[in-house]
Amino acid sequence: MSPSDISPVPVAPAVSHQEVGGQVVVLQNEGLPSVGWIWRPAFWAWSVTLFIFPLIWVGGLVTTHDAGMAVPDWPGTYGYNLFLYPVSVWLYGPFDLFIEHGHRLLGSFVGLLAIGLCIAAWRFETRRWYRWASLGLLLAVICQGLLGGARVVLDGRTIAMLHGCGGPMVFALASFMALSASRDWRSATGTVRPPGLQRLSWVLLVSSLVQLYLGAQLRHALPDTSPTAFMAMVHLHLTVAGLLTVLILVLAVLVRRAPYRDQPPLRTPANALLALLALQLCLGIGTWVVNYALPWSDWSPVLARYVIQAKGYWESLVVTGHQATGSLLIAMSVWMVCRIGRRQAQLVGNSQSFTMTSAEPV
Amino acid sequence: MRINIADVFEVFPPENCVMMAIDRGRWNRAQPLHALICNTVLGWVSLGLIVWCGCSPAPLEYRSNALQAASLMRESSDDSPLEVADSAAMIVETWFGTPDSPRWPSDLFSTPDLAQVVDMDEVARCAGAVGRADDQIERGLFRKHCVACHGITGDGRGAAAALLAPYPRDFRRGTFKFKSTPAGFKPTREDLQQTLFHGIPGTAMPAFATLSNSQEFSEDIDALVEYVRFLAIRGEIERRLIAKSIREGLELATDNPLAQEVATDVVERWKISEHEAASVPEPPSLSDQDLIASIERGREWYASELTACVKCHGATGHGDGASQDYDEWTKDWTIMAGIDPKSKTEWKEMKTYGALKPVIDHPRNFSWASFRGGKSPQDIFKRLVLGIEGTPMPPIARAEGGNQGLTDAQIWDVVHYVMSLGDRS
Repeated sequence: MSPSDISPVPVAPAVSHQEVGGQVVVLQNEGLPSVGWIWRPAFWAWSVTLFIFPLIWVGGLVTTHDAGMAVPDWPGTYGYNLFLYPVSVWLYGPFDLFIEHGHRLLGSFVGLLAIGLCIAAWRFETRRWYRWASLGLLLAVICQGLLGGARVVLDGRTIAMLHGCGGPMVFALASFMALSASRDWRSATGTVRPPGLQRLSWVLLVSSLVQLYLGAQLRHALPDTSPTAFMAMVHLHLTVAGLLTVLILVLAVLVRRAPYRDQPPLRTPANALLALLALQLCLGIGTWVVNYALPWSDWSPVLARYVIQAKGYWESLVVTGHQATGSLLIAMSVWMVCRIGRRQAQLVGNSQSFTMTSAEPV
Repeated sequence: MRINIADVFEVFPPENCVMMAIDRGRWNRAQPLHALICNTVLGWVSLGLIVWCGCSPAPLEYRSNALQAASLMRESSDDSPLEVADSAAMIVETWFGTPDSPRWPSDLFSTPDLAQVVDMDEVARCAGAVGRADDQIERGLFRKHCVACHGITGDGRGAAAALLAPYPRDFRRGTFKFKSTPAGFKPTREDLQQTLFHGIPGTAMPAFATLSNSQEFSEDIDALVEYVRFLAIRGEIERRLIAKSIREGLELATDNPLAQEVATDVVERWKISEHEAASVPEPPSLSDQDLIASIERGREWYASELTACVKCHGATGHGDGASQDYDEWTKDWTIMAGIDPKSKTEWKEMKTYGALKPVIDHPRNFSWASFRGGKSPQDIFKRLVLGIEGTPMPPIARAEGGNQGLTDAQIWDVVHYVMSLGDRS
């Protein structure tokens, strides 16, 4: 494939006008609305994404400390309205209550941010699908909150597992919203051919979601889970980890070679995936060690002397970090899919108005 | 319908797809992205419903001891081991309740002190699901801290058990490795507290010392000790009932006085063991030169026939002696049942009853200075004079009452030598 095969996408006019929701919105370069930053959907999308990540951390801490039932009622907290629970009792009370109530408060805040995104998108976003997608994100956040509530009210570990899986998926959706509001999404140029790279990125995304499910199964193992079932799940988790490693390495190599080496935007998510993979593999091993120790303690004096600290600070950090990094890997896979997908598309017309054309390069 | 994901972005940029779908008010099967989204959403909703409806947790029950029944009935073809195990399980369930609502059979015991062998208030705090009720007291401590390895029954068959080395302890034998009481006696509360507090290095058993730093959790270790005692008593009674039923034809019924006698006997053993802790003398205060001499004498005792340490721990203390054996928990259902633990085909027949692959209980490698029962000189002294119950590690014969054996001073020499092996590394 030669550079001439890469078809440039016509950029949007420097300034244009479009009617959105009965208002005429002035569009700047690349279709960005010329409104204050507070009204830009991108601001709200990034805010939602950035606050979901700590929410996942705190949610992970809740699971690590088995604090899901630290507050027995929902949506209130020990009979109080969620927002009126005494701050002093929350801050200075038991740690599991602190993180569980904090998780609920942070979740509510993310819900408010998602509402903000909806308002901004429906008032100022020119792409109709984006407006509907913002509504979808709000619904996803609400569903996730309801799942969390059901986990408390029904005291079900299976629901806890679904809630645990839902968090990273909502994070991935929020990341998609943030990425699709980005400049790269609107101004992406060139094509990615053959479609192997794109297939690879989709396989990576699906594999990372499968890995999320397997990890949640291990983390939320029921008290009567059989050793055989748990062992099978661990082996499956390790196998998919191996698959993810190969996929990310292949992706990282491919984006550095022709015909993609001229497209730095592809390298950024690939590099991020590589770094996260290295971190995640270390955290994965660490998670096993701080939970169960390595079964080969006879191999080295360090392992033979190591004593696990129950609910210790570092132990909690490693386990929760493994879960949170998994969420980041999924988000980065979404980033990769988006960037490759946008370059794969054959685009004609400006970035606000796409029409279907031949798949052949222009 | 086959969806070519690679073509999704190429032919249908997301903007167009979503817009067209919304405009038409329906999902068009000819549009792959719509189908993809639709199928994905439907898939997750269906999966959620299946999991929600199909996996709603049934009330938990303690598992019956089918492995013991199967190993004892291996040669006989009269009854099904599961029937015997289930009958015994029903009796102990009547007496001791379920994992969600444990109880104590006080009416079985004639003396009130037997009724207090276990603190049932603490047991209640450890039982049930993890969480707090309106009184804000945390419950379900056993499921929070222990169940992943020891299992809901305390049978050492938790979810992670098969991947751990050594396997988690099965409380139902009533045998505990690290204790201060002589062979045949149960551990004291303090012994179990020490294991929980310090953990066991090189294994999955964590140290709960961090809990005791917090005012809120400071009493959790005591509560867990009570629950471990409860499970051990419950499990040992079940074991004995199964054994008596198979070997002596004991009728398995709650109102059978012989069955009640079994329960009383087990509880009494736990009661008397509380006061049987062996005293450990203070370690001698030695100068550097005396210590070197003590280590040298210890080396000779270590290699002597009297201690026989070399047989398992090897001449250099690397745990590579000629004798490598299985622990009692493994022998219980293998060698005792006529099964060769090295024969995969033989031990696998017990897998259906919950058996895990037999693993040799390797002697400690002293060069790593990692002592699972505690690393202080007093701890090692205790291991020498009391042995490690349930393992091939026997107690050293002590020179008491005219018996042939080692004096306390000589045992301290061995302690110094063993500790010196770790220092060298």
